Amino acid sequence: MAHGLQRLTRAAVLTALALALSVAEGLAPLTILFPLPGLRLGLANLVTVYALCRLSGREALLILVARCLLGSLLGGNLMALAFSLTGGLLALAVMALLLRVPGLSLFGVSIAGAAAHNTGQILAAMVVLGGRAPLVYLPPLLLCSLVTGAVTGGVSILLVQRIPAPGRP
Amino acid sequence: MRLSAADRRRPTLGDGLVVLVVAAAALLLLAALRPKGTDSLTATITLDGQVVAQYQLAELSQPVSLTLEQAPYPLTIQIEADGVSILHSACPSQDCVRTGRITQTGQQIICLPNRLVVSLTGAGDLEFDAVTG
Repeated sequence: MAHGLQRLTRAAVLTALALALSVAEGLAPLTILFPLPGLRLGLANLVTVYALCRLSGREALLILVARCLLGSLLGGNLMALAFSLTGGLLALAVMALLLRVPGLSLFGVSIAGAAAHNTGQILAAMVVLGGRAPLVYLPPLLLCSLVTGAVTGGVSILLVQRIPAPGRP
Repeated sequence: MRLSAADRRRPTLGDGLVVLVVAAAALLLLAALRPKGTDSLTATITLDGQVVAQYQLAELSQPVSLTLEQAPYPLTIQIEADGVSILHSACPSQDCVRTGRITQTGQQIICLPNRLVVSLTGAGDLEFDAVTG
């Protein structure tokens, strides 16, 4: 009982954190420096990586879906939901898989996650626009994801090292 | 649950492999999508999947400015003999305006909030062999 409550609270706090991170990121968008639709640092992905490493895949999924739903309410854009959810779910799936591959660090996992997120976004945009036009943006987005993925990877290493698994001191 | 990746502090050789795979995918896609140069450009403006206007750039003697009031966020497109740009748009992201001017076949301006695509194609040069959906 107390354990269930602890899990719920932990997931809620992480959802709020992910939401705050994605809103904060929206205040200073990378697209001002570099006009590429869909380009972002992916700070909210830190929470997904942390949840995957220190909680469970199920909790990571719940946090991700809650963050995307609440984020689209905050942003007031239902179409953004399609993009963030497709991208987020694909990134989560790829990272959950790669975390089980030996010989990788969180750098590689984050980069693959960022690349998967961009691929998912572009796939969603192709469905929304009904054509292959958005595919043109994928190569530059993939190259950018090498940088953004490495940055969030570095931060997530700090995060996972410094903040131990909750409830297990 | 112990995950080896969660305990590493330094990048590994496997990470380099991931970087290589992503970079290779980007470059391959870039090569596959590379536009083939042609002289006569056609600008096609598509709103929500419907072609609303088409211009042969070479036939324009003076710039045309097209305002789409029917778009969710009204916007103005400037079509000139040597390129197309979006002058202003009421959309929140402004990515389409910041894209600037497109001048070559295969280039596009996309305004996602409006579901608008402005694309340049060369004469008789289909970008894709098939479009489904």
